[in-house]
Amino acid sequence: MDESREVVQKFLEESLLHLNLTVNGEAVHLHVPPTARLVDIIRNEIHLTGTKVSCGIGRCGACSILMNGSLVNSCLVMAYQADQAVVTTIEGVKGGEGLHPIQEAFLEEGGFQCGYCTPGMIIAAKALLEENPHPTDKEIETALSGNLCRCTGYGGIIRAVRRAAEAM
Amino acid sequence: MEPMKASLKRNRERPDGPGKVTGQMKYLSDLAFPGMLYGKIKRSDYPHARIISIDTKRAEQVPGVAAVITHKDVPGLNAFGIVIPDQPVLCEDYVRYTGDAVAAVAAESLAAAEQALDFIDIEYEPLLVVSDPVRSLDEETPNLHPAGNLLHEKTYIKGDVNAAFLSCSAVAEETYELPRQMHTYMETEGGVIIPEEDGGVTVYVGTQHGFQDRFQLSRILNMPEEDIRIVSSPMGGSFGGKDELNIQPYGALLALAAGRPVKIHQTRQESVLSGLKRHPMKITMKTGAGSNGQLLAHQVYILADTGAYSTLGPAILDFAVEHATGPYVIPNVHTEGQSVFTNNGVAGEFRGFGGNQVTFALEGQMDRLAEKLMIDPLELRRRNVRKKDSLGPLGQRIAPVTGASDVLESIAKHQEQTKDLLKDYTDKRKIRGIGSAITMHGGGLGYGRLDPAGGRLRLTEEGKIEAAFGFEEAGQGILGVIETIVTEELGCAAADLSIVIGDTALVPSSGSTTASRGTSMVWQALENMKRAFGSKLIAEAAEVTGVQVDILTLGRGGVFANTRENMNLPVITYSELASQSLDLEKLTVSTEFDFPTTPDEVDAGHFLYTFAGVLAQVEIDLLTGKVKVIDLDQAIAAGPVVNFLGYKGQIEGGGVMGLGYALMEEAIMTEGEYVTKNLDDYLIPGIGDVPFQMKVDAVETLEEGDSYGPRGVGEIGSVAVAPAIAKAVHDALGCWVNKLPVSAEETLLAVNQRRRHQWMKVEK
Repeated sequence: MDESREVVQKFLEESLLHLNLTVNGEAVHLHVPPTARLVDIIRNEIHLTGTKVSCGIGRCGACSILMNGSLVNSCLVMAYQADQAVVTTIEGVKGGEGLHPIQEAFLEEGGFQCGYCTPGMIIAAKALLEENPHPTDKEIETALSGNLCRCTGYGGIIRAVRRAAEAM
Repeated sequence: MEPMKASLKRNRERPDGPGKVTGQMKYLSDLAFPGMLYGKIKRSDYPHARIISIDTKRAEQVPGVAAVITHKDVPGLNAFGIVIPDQPVLCEDYVRYTGDAVAAVAAESLAAAEQALDFIDIEYEPLLVVSDPVRSLDEETPNLHPAGNLLHEKTYIKGDVNAAFLSCSAVAEETYELPRQMHTYMETEGGVIIPEEDGGVTVYVGTQHGFQDRFQLSRILNMPEEDIRIVSSPMGGSFGGKDELNIQPYGALLALAAGRPVKIHQTRQESVLSGLKRHPMKITMKTGAGSNGQLLAHQVYILADTGAYSTLGPAILDFAVEHATGPYVIPNVHTEGQSVFTNNGVAGEFRGFGGNQVTFALEGQMDRLAEKLMIDPLELRRRNVRKKDSLGPLGQRIAPVTGASDVLESIAKHQEQTKDLLKDYTDKRKIRGIGSAITMHGGGLGYGRLDPAGGRLRLTEEGKIEAAFGFEEAGQGILGVIETIVTEELGCAAADLSIVIGDTALVPSSGSTTASRGTSMVWQALENMKRAFGSKLIAEAAEVTGVQVDILTLGRGGVFANTRENMNLPVITYSELASQSLDLEKLTVSTEFDFPTTPDEVDAGHFLYTFAGVLAQVEIDLLTGKVKVIDLDQAIAAGPVVNFLGYKGQIEGGGVMGLGYALMEEAIMTEGEYVTKNLDDYLIPGIGDVPFQMKVDAVETLEEGDSYGPRGVGEIGSVAVAPAIAKAVHDALGCWVNKLPVSAEETLLAVNQRRRHQWMKVEK
């Protein structure tokens, strides 16, 4: 048994992926299993815990990040799929000196309560507003339909996205 | 307290906001500590079985495993439960639902812990599964607990319903079925438990009552309460679901066994399996009225499926029985409730606490009666709604309040306006309808229940005014409430404050963060403390500066003198006061008191009530039967608004949770097994399911002499939504909804029966 364990261990080590990422503007090099979930890499290896996990199956959007400019659920991305990617997490969302206008709007309009969906929601809103600075309500609905919030009933989130669109 | 109309403009940003919108704030399940292990809990393979043997040897040999625990490793009471500890921490002889824990593992990695779980060998003898609550009390049904399958029953009788039904002109009778709703807090149960060098433990896990967790863990670990520190805030949502212990005992036992920090963060599947749910209830109501619409008799039978263990099942049934008459004055009432054990998932505390189920039934009765009597549904309510000084629903005296008619009139006005707008609506493929409902909801735990509260103010060495409360921030905004009330009552600035909550090492006991009690209790605590604390700071400022006491007041940044030349600059700042004071410790004031209850000896009767009126407009797709909510407006009477942004958020959020309850949500079980396992089959409302604008009308007035201040609104916004939506469906299609969630199949059937779908031939 010990021998086979060693074999397995060696195999696992040899099969580790040399992962290169740019996360919030900084280069990151890691050795990880090729099938490791990107969300776990972000939270446990890079220690950016602003990205959350809630359903783990790509349904709730709590783990939303921008990968090469696109909105993705980081719980559904495996390490090998993310190699060489440019990633923005909530920690990389900033305004000039302080908060990003979307973050300001979420504060002012009550766009969060418990805050657990908020990083993903703000990332999704950012993806929308960067592509479409003046979205209609229907476009807001479509863009945020992959992000669940259990606290606000979405009222504050909708007001926040509308306000951010005006401010940006 | 003066009604604060100005508060409508007060949209204070929350103190926890910046940390949340930047992702910088750490939830307890985000924490990591050096040497930390990962814990996993092995739950039962069967909904009901006898355990023949448990063998952990293979699991212990998995590389990286640091500890494996079973019932043998529980040093104290192997059970938990807030009122009746009947849920085993780790099962020894029987398992009673698929969420029952049998063993737990801590390992160097999550993968190793998961692998070890698979290597725990448990032999079971499957037993007959009790899945139908209706049959739980039958003689041939096996007993799940030594005292039988009846957890609790409660009866309330007033007058003589049988005699009264004889004189009724119209009687409505219906059985309503309410689903098992999941809280679906976005952060699943999790955190880190650390063994301390002195032999104690620190528990970083969210809960709604840190001191209660400490008490329960002390029993389980056989460890003095003083040796246990509970850090219980912040949480990524709870809604009642994290009130009972969840992963804390396993984390603590594993951490003590391994001598290292242990993190457990449940996956959503594990959370679905083991977490509390709202009680599924079957409610039969028979309600009669005279020809003038006056309610004469109301007979109610409530059957609640409490699942495998007690938690707060008895109190929830009591609450449902109390609220079965809602805000109406009915001379003859007979309500019976039974809460029974089954092998289904454990049902327990959930926003609304039994009120949501009975309100759906009661308001359904009002609408059915109105139709029979040919009276407008809101007019029928108007003729029966309680007056300012009416007794409470259990015949107890309550704080005088006109909230019921206030919200009724407000929603009646909304309804007229919405109807006007609807006149011009035409769509061949869709049909719309409008419905309204009202409710009343008790705050606090009720008469005869321990319901203490407290708080503390002090000046810290750093010169901050520390406001300490034993509450937790689950997202509801208690931090914002504390900041608003403390700054307004003391006159200081938010920057002068240091708010401390959710840590048994640092805060006084304030009771549970439940039952819409937090806001009331913070306000009451400040009423009790503000003068004494102000006087102490002023006296000290006078002592230090030599300025006379009677011209000093607390202000933003420090203590000010009421003289022309010193208007803008404090005589002394709070930090100067802290550093120059010779006896800082005396600048502390604390208070202990109880949530106000009725003076009458009525078990579980409430004293402070809030009210809601809901207007729902729905649009039904005639091709698919899908119901979409177009309007969801609420009028709320809960005293003065502390912070309108927070208030509106609670009502909108509660409203949408009620929308989900009405139209989408059910944790389905068959034969004691969850069919719904994650958020792909348990659907909660998404942004596409909600109205983009929801009106919230706050009725802020309090009666003359009402000294109880603002009431909490954590629950009230969720309570009367489902019946308003059900009535709107009826308004559109003419079919009565008696089962939630509303099924598209049934609405489609109704569409076809009424031949609304005119371009399709309907078979005769």
